[in-house]
Amino acid sequence: ADTSEWLCEYCPFESGYTADYSVGVTSVSEDSAYIGNATGYDEEGVYANLDGQGRYANDSYRWRWRLEDLGLDSRAAEVRGGRPGKFDVRIAYRELPRRRFDSTATIFVQSTADTLSLPPGWVAAAQTTGFTALDANLQNRAIGSDRRVFDIGGRYLRSERLSFSADYRRQESDGLKIRGGSSFTSASLLPMPFDYVTDEVDFGVRYGDARGFVSLRWYLSDFENGAAGFRWQQPFSFSPPLGTGTFEQARAPDSRFQQLSLATAYAFSAYGTVLSASASFGNIEQDTAFLAYTTNDNLSPEPLPRSALNGDIDTTNIAIALTSRPLDKTRVKLSYRFDERDNKTAQDLWERVIVDSVLSGDPELNTPYGFERATLRLSADYDLFASLRLSGGYDRKEIDRDFQEVASQTEEAGWGRLRWRPSASVEIDVRGGTSQRDIDSYNEVFAASLGENPLLRKYNLAYRYRRYGDLRLSWSPADLPVSVSLSGRVADDEYTHSQLGITAGDEFGVAADFSWSVSERSSFYLNAGVESMQSQQSGSEQFAAADWYASHDDDFTTLGAGIRVREISGDVDLQLDYRRSDGTTKIDVDTAEPGTDRFPDLRSELDYLRLRLNYRRSERLGMSFDLRYQRFETADWSRLNVTTVPQLLSLGASPYDDRSLILGLGFHYRLGDLSPAVSQP
Amino acid sequence: DGQETDYSRKGADTCLSCHDDEVTLAIFKTVHAVPSDSSGPFGHGQLQCESCHGPGDAHSGRVRRGEERPAIPHFGSGPVASLEDQNGICLECHKDDVGFGWHTGVHPSDEVACADCHVSHAPADAVMQTSTQAEVCFDCHQRQRSETMKAFSHPLLQGKMDCSGCHSAHSDEAATAFAQQTLNASCEQCHAEKRGPFLWEHAPVSEDCGLCHAPHGSNHAGMLTQRAPLLCQSCHSASGHPSIANTTDGLAADLPSQYLLGQSCMNCHSQVHGSNHPSGSKLMR
Repeated sequence: ADTSEWLCEYCPFESGYTADYSVGVTSVSEDSAYIGNATGYDEEGVYANLDGQGRYANDSYRWRWRLEDLGLDSRAAEVRGGRPGKFDVRIAYRELPRRRFDSTATIFVQSTADTLSLPPGWVAAAQTTGFTALDANLQNRAIGSDRRVFDIGGRYLRSERLSFSADYRRQESDGLKIRGGSSFTSASLLPMPFDYVTDEVDFGVRYGDARGFVSLRWYLSDFENGAAGFRWQQPFSFSPPLGTGTFEQARAPDSRFQQLSLATAYAFSAYGTVLSASASFGNIEQDTAFLAYTTNDNLSPEPLPRSALNGDIDTTNIAIALTSRPLDKTRVKLSYRFDERDNKTAQDLWERVIVDSVLSGDPELNTPYGFERATLRLSADYDLFASLRLSGGYDRKEIDRDFQEVASQTEEAGWGRLRWRPSASVEIDVRGGTSQRDIDSYNEVFAASLGENPLLRKYNLAYRYRRYGDLRLSWSPADLPVSVSLSGRVADDEYTHSQLGITAGDEFGVAADFSWSVSERSSFYLNAGVESMQSQQSGSEQFAAADWYASHDDDFTTLGAGIRVREISGDVDLQLDYRRSDGTTKIDVDTAEPGTDRFPDLRSELDYLRLRLNYRRSERLGMSFDLRYQRFETADWSRLNVTTVPQLLSLGASPYDDRSLILGLGFHYRLGDLSPAVSQP
Repeated sequence: DGQETDYSRKGADTCLSCHDDEVTLAIFKTVHAVPSDSSGPFGHGQLQCESCHGPGDAHSGRVRRGEERPAIPHFGSGPVASLEDQNGICLECHKDDVGFGWHTGVHPSDEVACADCHVSHAPADAVMQTSTQAEVCFDCHQRQRSETMKAFSHPLLQGKMDCSGCHSAHSDEAATAFAQQTLNASCEQCHAEKRGPFLWEHAPVSEDCGLCHAPHGSNHAGMLTQRAPLLCQSCHSASGHPSIANTTDGLAADLPSQYLLGQSCMNCHSQVHGSNHPSGSKLMR
């Protein structure tokens, strides 16, 4: 086309600077770890906050920035932009608060970064009921952590065909985790401090044209933990005493993962054929110095076989995919994927010191697990009519593993699908299939060497027959401002060769969406879901045939609804959202004792309501009102007081019973240009 | 036929003489409308609106009374182009972002259009923002939305995490749709402490995080697929405490059991992701 007279005189190209900032205060009515998780509103009180976003543009450059929740532990800031067609860059920082429990308490005192000590005057006892100094020494200790992520990266477009990219990301995470510390027949739940740093680097180069491309990428992930071990003094008394009374666990070791990836694709002119392929070769190294076998100097185990694991794993990932239209109405797809974890870590015999007191006398060989996994998928679509598409496919997955009960397993699946559009506004999508997972053999001798019952079939290694079906209906009439969609699924798993372990599972779910554009300025949505997942399993207390049976049934219902209204009386926007979810877990355990043993239901209920009102006082000034009410309650028999279990000193995490009203008031101000200027290209 | 392939007389100025609404004009606040970007739609010599919407002469020409105005070829109401052609328009420029893997991926098979997820006229495309991306994905992925509403989930609904942190929406059929090459490598982007290798590994951990965790949400803390000790006992049956039936006798009101309450098996076997302690073969050290 001759565009010489296409002057774009009416094009309001953006030029200049504009930004919206919001300053506000928020009141939080209650302390709540659950509600403060990820949001930062975990403590009762008043929070000052600053948010904002802005843009700068001229003929060549575009820049955008965003400030979010600067007054909270969930703060984030980001600048991105560049010269479109030439380069783009991004710098971002964000924090993510992880809040688990604020009702937890402990007697342990963090004497160093890596040691939890008993308080002065602690009176040890064989059971928690004998801890006479407990109440005087119990200190509240919230469990949670803070993650800080710094991210910088960019892309340089050398030409239309050649581009380079580089990214660096640093994640720091520190706080307290719950860590179980075993002391023979007793245990303590410990608030373990941790401090993780992960650095990631990603460099890429890509060359491509309209037909194809080739790219090369190097990725590095380096994890540092700072310390190899973590010690605690055990609070229980034993006769004779267990070792020195100070125990030690290993922390997650430092590790480094590097990967080189080559990818290519080509679009052939014949039959719309596209071939894509990628190959990635990686390596994981871990050489953190080992801790000693024990903290007990009175024991004399053999020297460690080596001073560090010198862990060495090669990873290989190869993927090939092809799609083509050999006939006008037919499309075929073929893909093959190969993943390998080649664990080359050396094996040795290791002694074991049991609770720093006794040499096991039975050296054990470490088992560096590895696997090869190959997946083949073949599918075809055929347009029987313009409105009806039939599809079918065959999938085959093979997994070979080292050091496990099943050396080789194969899963084959077949499926069919029908997509029918009886009219422009209605779509029906039905899919169903079966799969069968077979194993070469379950090595019962090997299982016995691990101490497992030879009748057990670990569920990911067991024979499994699966049937499933999915249905999706959608209706979006052109002449009505509504859309409706409904999806459902059923799945049924049979582990017919398993006498012990998971023996059956089934799943059912339905979800529905409704949206209604009430007017140009208002809309309504509603979504709801029901889901049920059940599994059956069996076990044997007598280490023989099954003598107990259990069922585990998770049921969920979810509901979401909301309204959006713009420009009420010309200057007020309203947004109202409500969510509710209910979860119930029913567990039955049937033993030789008469009757079925039904546990109290594990329940969770979550309500969330949010109302936001934005008022535009003028073109520059506005106000906002933000009301949130959230309630989260659980019924959970596993949560207990600090001394409920005689052999377990816990942290006393109680079931959640959290509700919080969060009220926010903010003032917005717009800086810079109110309307984009017009500039000529 | 000639009518369909003819461009308008004055390019964008022709279009804007009618389409001067806020939504349309927002394109000028995006990277799609940068005059100096020679490869962009509004770069020198480019086809402006018609770069994406197709030749607009027929659509913008005079229409006799009673006649319906011909539709714009792409991305209008009642589009005349196929979904594949419309996606092709986007891919002409976004090969670098999307990659050819798109053609062999799941989304085009499901007849998903680029415009189903992306709003090219929006200054801030919702699917490109962490705080709003999940809601876009949930329009189709209803099951995942329900799952994230469960009691324990990643912070998607709080807008502090996005789907693309773990998934690659543009990847090909063989590439598993994860952000990294495998599920585990994707999880380890944020949970690198689980990567090991450990002296004493836990076999399922090294292979597939999803064997024990439901990453979209669960009724159980830690997003576990099942409640311990039953989860552990689906693979462990050794003589002694691993094989016992933990019944309601072990609840707090009866004979409180350390095998059932608190962290259950993890009260002692706390190193479930692996241990690097020489005495840690039972994942207790």
